Amino acid sequence: MSSTSQHLLLSPAELAYLHGSLSLITPGPIRPDGRSPTQFRPLTAETGILPGTNGSARICFADGTEAVVGVKAEVEKTPLSPYEFVASTEGRKDHTQKKSGSRKSKKATGDEEDISMDVDEEAAGANDKIRGSPDWVELSVEIPGLRDDDSGTVFLTSMLTEALLADGEFVKKLWINRRFHWKLYLDIILISPPLSYPLPLLSLTTHLALLATRLPRLKSEADEDPMFDDDWAAATFLYPRQDTSAKASNKSSKPSSAAAAPASRPPITLLVMAVGDNIIFDPSKEELAVADSAVAVSVAEGPASESESEPEPESIPATTTKRNLQLLSVRTIDPPSRLTPPGVPNSVNAAAWGTMTAATPTTTTAATASATEGGAAKHPDARVTETEDVVGVWKAPRGGAKFGMLGAMVAKVLEREAASPRSQGAG
Amino acid sequence: MPITILQPSLAPPPKLRNVDSDSDSEGGADLEGDVAMGRPAKRARTQDSSIMTPGEIITDDPQWMRGHGTYIIPGASSNTILSSVAGTLAKTNKLLSVRPLRARYTPEIGDLVVGRIVEVQAKRWRVDVGGTLLAQLPLSAINLPGGIQRRRTETDELQIRTFFSEGELLVAEVQQLYNDGAAVLHTRSLKYGKLRNGVFMSVTGTGGGGGVVRARRQAFTLDISGTDEVSGSEKIDVLLGVNGYIWISKHIEGEGAAAETSGPGITRIEESVGLNVYSSQNDIIPVDTMREIARVRGVITALVENGLRVDEEMVIKGYAEAVEMAKEERDSADTLWLGGERGKRLANALVGR
Repeated sequence: MSSTSQHLLLSPAELAYLHGSLSLITPGPIRPDGRSPTQFRPLTAETGILPGTNGSARICFADGTEAVVGVKAEVEKTPLSPYEFVASTEGRKDHTQKKSGSRKSKKATGDEEDISMDVDEEAAGANDKIRGSPDWVELSVEIPGLRDDDSGTVFLTSMLTEALLADGEFVKKLWINRRFHWKLYLDIILISPPLSYPLPLLSLTTHLALLATRLPRLKSEADEDPMFDDDWAAATFLYPRQDTSAKASNKSSKPSSAAAAPASRPPITLLVMAVGDNIIFDPSKEELAVADSAVAVSVAEGPASESESEPEPESIPATTTKRNLQLLSVRTIDPPSRLTPPGVPNSVNAAAWGTMTAATPTTTTAATASATEGGAAKHPDARVTETEDVVGVWKAPRGGAKFGMLGAMVAKVLEREAASPRSQGAG
Repeated sequence: MPITILQPSLAPPPKLRNVDSDSDSEGGADLEGDVAMGRPAKRARTQDSSIMTPGEIITDDPQWMRGHGTYIIPGASSNTILSSVAGTLAKTNKLLSVRPLRARYTPEIGDLVVGRIVEVQAKRWRVDVGGTLLAQLPLSAINLPGGIQRRRTETDELQIRTFFSEGELLVAEVQQLYNDGAAVLHTRSLKYGKLRNGVFMSVTGTGGGGGVVRARRQAFTLDISGTDEVSGSEKIDVLLGVNGYIWISKHIEGEGAAAETSGPGITRIEESVGLNVYSSQNDIIPVDTMREIARVRGVITALVENGLRVDEEMVIKGYAEAVEMAKEERDSADTLWLGGERGKRLANALVGR
């Protein structure tokens, strides 16, 4: 759980209105900015903005929040464990069993597997030699105005790291040979003040930066000290681009642009919230302020192939079986709505509807007729309004997210993601 | 479809911003015809339509006087006038000033503002009005419920939060200014008070760039019965605070800042106050009204994003245009969305491009 509590002040009347319009059933939710429930905010994106990095991206949302991500790689020596050679024979067995599901699919599609590292022929034969360690990725998030060890920043960091490392496939891309690997440093910087909960923005920018990340081409072979091609133009993408010819079926009418779609994509974390029975994607800060529950869902796309061991929800339409979506993680986010002040119903409001003077033993002339009827505290509606909902009065949601709603949100994310063509690195 | 990808486009050429003539040329000599200014002045004139950046030398001719948005480096050659903000150059006779592209709101007496309570003190509230300093609203500057103008007692001070508490929105008028530019507000009219039944949005206020401009009327009522889907004669109140804070809400007859001023006289006002001036309970709002409120909000966002001014005329025209656009494409579901391309189309239709 993390809290998104930034100092966002909203009046109870605003909150009540927003909640009312977002939880409408019949025409669907009416969002204050007119978006449809699954529509994202418009954004501008560019990649390759930092020449000193292996990959970088910048995304600017229409609400003015902007993030820059730089990916840097350096070669690091893999500490060889003394058990390495023993483990290479027997240890591999359990390893194979553990990951048999993913291994199988990998071998089946060995031709398009083509991992970004030029894996030498011997290693390619025994694919399971490639391994990774979570230490090979270091991710740092910087939010202006927040300390590095602020709980919000730490939570964002761990959530983005978790999405990257969840399936263990990402770190395998960093394998050079048995003695060396790439160490990847991801610097995620929010440039603007955190106007809205920055998770979707940071995740999108990281996604784009990783798509644009290139590593120098390896010239050496096998386990010798790595030698790299000086030519940056020959560098290989961390997420290899697929052949346009091989992907003709998937490519739709778009002419084969220079940037062919990558076979697999980095994970992405989406923020989804629920108000009433409505599920709303990419909430703005006002919308998040009335959320009953909010969830960050991380999904990744593996190489388009037959299904993995992951159970796929039935809701995915048949037309999109090409896309191999994996659910990586689900985290609940504590919406700021819990901290909002409740509205005061008119029936107990001392300052409205003329009952105002009743509550207070003022000495002024105003306290006349209504004072005799008894104070507002004794008002018959007073107790009711403390426990029950009054139409048009804001009350902070209580309790956690409902299980059914969580499941519905996750299913909706997978469905939407499967149906939508993911963006490619924009110029 | 949640994501559509647009081809990256070149940045548009900088717009030629013609400096308002009302404050520049009143009683002033025609600068275009003024030939006796020498080289530095010539330079200043050529930069009229371009943007000055902070620290940029405007002129070093001693004949010019320094106005708002400029400074002189003390000591050295004190004739040099530099810009202290990013904005366009404006000249009034021999006074040079730079109008900032973006600035915080500078209050003026009589402005209608929308504010948000950020702090409650013993005898006053501190109100965020988007300026550099928080405005204050003394307890003595509000109409207390009870009808009659009565003395402020200690009891009123104790229950100050029942009138306004933190986070609540109100519409008020700037009554007084302090030397440091801080404003004192008052809500001593039936038109002012707590806001409910609607949505808030904030755009750039008066003081720079587009956004809300000071106009004849800052609050008006929009008739939304023009859309055929809406049954009945619902209306929407639009409250354009001079400070750029905007409130769009359901219209309630005889309430709100847009209410007719020809209503009860000044004495009657005092009597009728206290009905729901301090209520924070929303009325039941029809779905159609909610949708149209969202549409008006979209229109204003589109206006701001496309650098158009926000005032009564533009909002009404923009709203009519948006309704037309929605009618044309009835089939598509997202007719409310007025961002991106749709917003551009709307803005183009408005300025007749």
